[in-house]
Amino acid sequence: MALASPRIHEVPDDLLTAIDYCYEQGWTDGLPVVPPVVGRVDAMLARQSRPSETVIATHPATGLELSLHAAAVNSVMAGCLPEHFPVVVAAFEAMNKPDFNFHGSTASTGGSAPLLIVSGAYADEIGMNSDVNLFGPGNRANATIGRAVRLILRNVFQMIPGISDKSTQGNPGKYSFCIAERARGNPWPMLCETQGYAKGVSSVTAYAGGGFCNVENHGGNTPEQVLGSVADAMANYGCITLGQSVVILAPEHMRIVAGTGWTREDAQNFLFTHAKRSVEGMKNVGKYRDREYDTQHGGEAHALAEQGFVHRGLSPEDILITMGGGDAGGHSCFIPSWSRGRGSILQHSPIGM
Amino acid sequence: MQLYAPTSSGPKRKSFRAPPLASLEGMRIGILENGKLNAEEMLREVGALFVERHGCTIRPIYSKSNASAPAPSNTLVKAAQDVDFLITGLGD
Repeated sequence: MALASPRIHEVPDDLLTAIDYCYEQGWTDGLPVVPPVVGRVDAMLARQSRPSETVIATHPATGLELSLHAAAVNSVMAGCLPEHFPVVVAAFEAMNKPDFNFHGSTASTGGSAPLLIVSGAYADEIGMNSDVNLFGPGNRANATIGRAVRLILRNVFQMIPGISDKSTQGNPGKYSFCIAERARGNPWPMLCETQGYAKGVSSVTAYAGGGFCNVENHGGNTPEQVLGSVADAMANYGCITLGQSVVILAPEHMRIVAGTGWTREDAQNFLFTHAKRSVEGMKNVGKYRDREYDTQHGGEAHALAEQGFVHRGLSPEDILITMGGGDAGGHSCFIPSWSRGRGSILQHSPIGM
Repeated sequence: MQLYAPTSSGPKRKSFRAPPLASLEGMRIGILENGKLNAEEMLREVGALFVERHGCTIRPIYSKSNASAPAPSNTLVKAAQDVDFLITGLGD
């Protein structure tokens, strides 16, 4: 469908006035934005070989379209540099895949936020943080790429809090939820490799994250002890569903797990096996459903799905595990999926392709 | 200073309301159940009220496998052929 020319707003030639103008238009996430002046937007678009009117995502319910131009405008507002823009584009190309279901996961009371995990050399090239304070503030690329995604959801797709975004409580990741996978000292293949991309191609993975659960364990010194505490977090009654999982192991924990020869697949199998609750326990908290149990234990059940238990996810492959964070500290994390279980399936796309 | 609007410049999808039914008497009801907890139970109760009060008949229930995604177009096309009106809603 043909796109109209982008609309231009004339504002007084004063930066603070322009920032206030953006607030008045309802274009912000509550924080000040960089006014999207024409020159900055054009510089952002210069990184793309495709025409600026190229549509990279379409809202499945409203039909609203995201063009490269609109993505660039919002990326400028978020504070991105031009070299950050290919990651924003790839993120929406991933989220645009039907199984991500970006309408549902951004409109729901569940309050999830798109977690972006950037994997490969491009993360280093643009100075992303995969190290200390991984999910915290302080890195421009991490902060602004994640924020650009939020501003696009708000301004282009009109996911307005209280109107079309009905999150009961939301989560802090709805400001920005973007990290890089740590390559330094990572004993396992990078995600971009396991996703099948050619050597040298970086990727972004998009996952509807329902929050953040810190997993502290400073005493465990075997894979079973460390991953046992992760599995317990994954199976807590508040979080357990048939949904996928993201687990970011701290380097300290990774050294314990991989140091004894465990592969990513070994860890996935262990977590799937142990992240479970009994049917009786699920009934006690009112969360048991026959339909979900049958989905997990029916004809296509994974061999590790134990009768009489509800596991987190449908198979070990539903658990994305990698490494991130600073060298010191026994603090990993589990990020639950959006509460609708299988309502959103994580997706990935190559960067700059 | 010139600022670009950060909103979509694409055309909005056109939508319109179906014309209201002249009467509910004897109409065929479709139920679109969205998979959420208690959705089917609640919708069956609502459907039973139409049967009781207006002599409606209930067609087989249509289901969505994903509560938060639009119903598949083939489901809606089939429903449009089979029923006079469709009720749907959340149950949790």
